[in-house]
Amino acid sequence: MSADLDPVIHSQARLRIMTTLAAMPEGDRLTFPRLQKLLDATAGNLSTHLRKLEDAGYVDVAKGHAGRVPTTTVSVTRAGRRAFEDYLAALQALLTPPTTVSEEER
Amino acid sequence: MVDERTPGDPDDLPPDPVALAALIDAQRARTAADTEFAAWLVFGAWGLAWMVGLAGMWAAYTHRIALPFWASGAIFAALLVIAAVVTTVHTVRRTAGIVGPSAKQSAMYGWAWVGVFVGDGALMGALGRLDASPDVSLTVGSIVPALLVGGLYMAGGAAWHSREQFVVGAWICVSTVAAAFVGPPNLLLVMSLAGGGGMLVAAVVARIRRSGRRPSRPHDPGRLS
Repeated sequence: MSADLDPVIHSQARLRIMTTLAAMPEGDRLTFPRLQKLLDATAGNLSTHLRKLEDAGYVDVAKGHAGRVPTTTVSVTRAGRRAFEDYLAALQALLTPPTTVSEEER
Repeated sequence: MVDERTPGDPDDLPPDPVALAALIDAQRARTAADTEFAAWLVFGAWGLAWMVGLAGMWAAYTHRIALPFWASGAIFAALLVIAAVVTTVHTVRRTAGIVGPSAKQSAMYGWAWVGVFVGDGALMGALGRLDASPDVSLTVGSIVPALLVGGLYMAGGAAWHSREQFVVGAWICVSTVAAAFVGPPNLLLVMSLAGGGGMLVAAVVARIRRSGRRPSRPHDPGRLS
């Protein structure tokens, strides 16, 4: 039934990460601590899931410096945005009454 | 059905599509509440400052209350400072940890406010040195900053595609033009009621709209994309 749902996004933590990043205007990046706060996640847990999303090419994790302080910023990539939209469309199909989607749902 | 899970993930999959949709909705609401500009707060702070402060100045100027005019002006100035602090703190909190084009845009817009109000202060100083009459100082000192606020709100509305901000700016400009025709001292009352009152109405409307956007219907699939 959830065959169309992208397994990379299909986890509670990663779905929430993608939802948050996709809500940012195009080109904007979130610092790691701000993203962590928006998700109420632990640093370790967030890193783990970000790595999976990064490996799939859905997010871009950039390390840099603000003065002497090392900073990590995260943004959704174009591919990530598209994958998230596809995920939403697939979920939408699952939520719509079967009579209207029986063709695509297969 | 459960084999979609990436190996090694904790068992954290929401049980069904409805729960997934609710999860997305909740996270969107959380992100919006933390990062979106709260128009109601900013309009409310400025609207209150204008309404109370300008009405106080009008009452002092027309001797309806036993308060020296300079004191009523100081109270208005203090209310404006409070509104500016509320706006600045809110903006800094909202944009903290967000880098990129929108942060640059906000910073440029913020500097536009600083620039025009430093200029307005300089203008008032110049009028003082020219020994302008109280009526001239009152007229210029009220009309010029109000037009700057109206114009900047309209520009902000254009920059952020915010109709509500644009409409408030346009309303302030219209009220200010009306106030200029009314002239001193009643222009203060016009700006208090129409300008300040208009911002307060906008604050209430923005607040109602904001609560209307909260996910009250997590099962509604139409909200997903």
